[in-house]
Amino acid sequence: MSQAISNPAVSPPGADKTILRAAAVQKFYRSGEETLSILRGVDLNVRTGEFIAIEGRSGSGKSTLLHILAGLDSPNGGTVQFNGVNIVAISDRNLAKIRNREFGFVFQFYHLLPELNVLENTMLSPMIEFSTLGFRARAADLRKRAADLLNQLGLGHRLKHRSSQLSGGERQRVAIARALMNDPKVLFADEPTGNLDFETGRQIMAVLEDLHRRQGQTIIMVTHDRSLALKADRVLILRNGKLERPGGASDTEKVPAPEED
Amino acid sequence: MYKLHLILKYLLKRRIAWVSLVAVTLCTLMVLVVISVMGGWLNMFKSSFRGLSGDIVVHSDGMAGFPYYERIIASLKKDSDIAAAIPSIETYGLLNFGRVATLPVKVMGIPIDEMGEVNRFPDSLYRQHVMLEDKLNDKTLAPEERKKLERILASPPSFDLLDEMTVPLAALPSDLPIEKIDPDQDQIPGTVKLPDTAPQDLRGRLRYDAVRKNLVFQGPMKVDWKDPLASLSADADYKRAVDTLFRESNTADLIDYSQLAKGRLTGMIAGTGVIGIHRNHNGEWEGRESWKTSTPVGLTVLDISGGGGVSVHDKVTRTYFIVDDSRTQVWQYDNNYVYVPLDRLQKDLGMNLQQVSDAAGNAINVPGRVTDIHIKVRARIDPNDEPALNRIADRVRSRVHEVMHGPHPPGGPTMYGPDPRVETWQETQRIWINAIENEKMLVVFLFGIISVVAIFLIFCIFYMIVVEKTRDIGIIKSVGATSAGVASIFLGYGLVIGVLGSGLGLLLSFLLVHNINEIHGWLGRRLGIVIWNPEVYLFDKIPNQMSFHDIVWIVPIAILASVLGALVPAIRAASVNPVESLRWE
Repeated sequence: MSQAISNPAVSPPGADKTILRAAAVQKFYRSGEETLSILRGVDLNVRTGEFIAIEGRSGSGKSTLLHILAGLDSPNGGTVQFNGVNIVAISDRNLAKIRNREFGFVFQFYHLLPELNVLENTMLSPMIEFSTLGFRARAADLRKRAADLLNQLGLGHRLKHRSSQLSGGERQRVAIARALMNDPKVLFADEPTGNLDFETGRQIMAVLEDLHRRQGQTIIMVTHDRSLALKADRVLILRNGKLERPGGASDTEKVPAPEED
Repeated sequence: MYKLHLILKYLLKRRIAWVSLVAVTLCTLMVLVVISVMGGWLNMFKSSFRGLSGDIVVHSDGMAGFPYYERIIASLKKDSDIAAAIPSIETYGLLNFGRVATLPVKVMGIPIDEMGEVNRFPDSLYRQHVMLEDKLNDKTLAPEERKKLERILASPPSFDLLDEMTVPLAALPSDLPIEKIDPDQDQIPGTVKLPDTAPQDLRGRLRYDAVRKNLVFQGPMKVDWKDPLASLSADADYKRAVDTLFRESNTADLIDYSQLAKGRLTGMIAGTGVIGIHRNHNGEWEGRESWKTSTPVGLTVLDISGGGGVSVHDKVTRTYFIVDDSRTQVWQYDNNYVYVPLDRLQKDLGMNLQQVSDAAGNAINVPGRVTDIHIKVRARIDPNDEPALNRIADRVRSRVHEVMHGPHPPGGPTMYGPDPRVETWQETQRIWINAIENEKMLVVFLFGIISVVAIFLIFCIFYMIVVEKTRDIGIIKSVGATSAGVASIFLGYGLVIGVLGSGLGLLLSFLLVHNINEIHGWLGRRLGIVIWNPEVYLFDKIPNQMSFHDIVWIVPIAILASVLGALVPAIRAASVNPVESLRWE
């Protein structure tokens, strides 16, 4: 746990550049004649290496925003650009490719595949990326990387175990290893400690902080827990469908938010 | 990579999918077994039917037959594709067994020594083929005996008695002479002259009956027609006569059948069913030793004039001696037909070459007639090749027409109505073959419908798996799988189930079909279950060959059906919204 996560993305070239930009993102749900607006024109710029926490109350739409930023959901209006590409407008195939190679996800409920063991769950991204032959050609390297990641997360002895045999904290660490396996440009974390006890949650947060601080991993985390949000470089609050800076709370803003351009 | 990996994981871990696998296996097994048995049955029928007629047959439309058959045959033999052609007559008759039982029969007059040139009829003869082959299979058979049997087997079949059937005359009492018989007489041969020692009241009332190899009491007696033998045996006078005359002797030992019949009685071959020989449930012969075998019988036929006229006064009854039985394996033949020499039947029916006088007293030759000509095509032509056979049939038709309408001998008939029909063996037997083919298709269709259940089963199970795996699908999509990729997991899953299921089904059906007779026998012995009754299905063995042709269309259909069952669940899986599926634990 205490070991640094070896990530080649340490101080990536082009740090401090905008990697993800959302503009006027809208999301609403229609139910009969009623329209429920969740996001009412969200603007957000994320720089490479930045750790952003999006805070909000339950039902505020923060998870929806995260899913739209990650290309898992599509907005009703606005754009989301990743490295200059509007991922809202690209094909399902290309979007899947970006999710597979550029993004990593950590969910509140871990979401591991029960049929796969820890090592296989960790290698899910390359398994999807490569064909059977391509995977086999790289199998040794990929296994080593997956095993290294799991080892660094304290799960070196659990490689062959199934998710049902792991504790909640261990499962979440496997989910983090899976998210890091493809060396993501952006790591999305949706309430990563929401399903864990305090101590385990603290450990998971330590892992994320460590990733950010030591390897410069860009992280966008959604949480309703102010204390966790404070671990981030920048905290944004989703309120009434829009992102706001915490009013007058300078202690929550360790790094000045970049100007929205 | 992930697709194959997940398919294998799902296959091993999701045991509910094994139900689909079992369903596909059972359906493949069921359809393959049914189609193999039914198809084998059909093939046996076709083979047996073809074995009874020529590849092409010239049929008379009526029982009067057609003339100039010798000239037609001579013309046909000029065709390079025709190997042989033989005439035959088919008519109806009444067969009388020792005035004890009478059966309606179909009578076929054949030149038996030539029969083997056009079909496999000689192979169906018990004494002249089947029995000899069985004996030759005996490894302990003495070399001289083997040579003798091989010689008989190689010789053309005949209507004569075999040496095998000769019984020594050793025990015949000198005072029991056998009256000479006239083969053309309407009577049971072998009348016995009673010795003076015989009781007076029995005189004139006893005849030797070769039917029963015993004496027949010709007095007024009560006969139970359901079992005439029993009533004879129960008759006190009859018993007294037997005791008096033969005491403990076996009557069979007293009569030399060969002496009795050779050269004097005409031989007849009867279908096994006609003389009461049949297979029992275990496939064993029954009735081979029945009183109807090796017996003189009376055959009554009606003389039919060249113009087709019939008069009951023209009935002809001739005594034949049953020399053999024919088991063609086709019920219609084995239970209805008797076979007699062509020339004899021709004569009895008045269809032989006859000389008559016209009004001016001039002699006119009325040509002989037959009802059929059986034609065998050359070996290089496949008799199952219908188009090829039809082309030859067309040429036969032309030749028949040419002869029938060509110049005729003076005084002979110029026309006998329409030309005889020319049909290939498939056309001749079409009604039966079509019936069995339709039955086969119906059974396969019904079992096919049952197999559709498997598709629904796969659909339900896969749908259930997709619903259960909705969250996993969301995970896979969130990590970069496309909708098409997710769909292909489930389609591939269905494909693997189909391949494994149909493969297992194929293996099991192969084992089952190849051992079906052993399994059937075991069921019969142990549980008394008899599914294949030889009396009903005509063949004593269940067909146990699988057709490669059937396999190559059934197995792919099973696989396709499996993929089809997985299609809708796969589409549903592809359309899963990852956000929706991941929102809740």
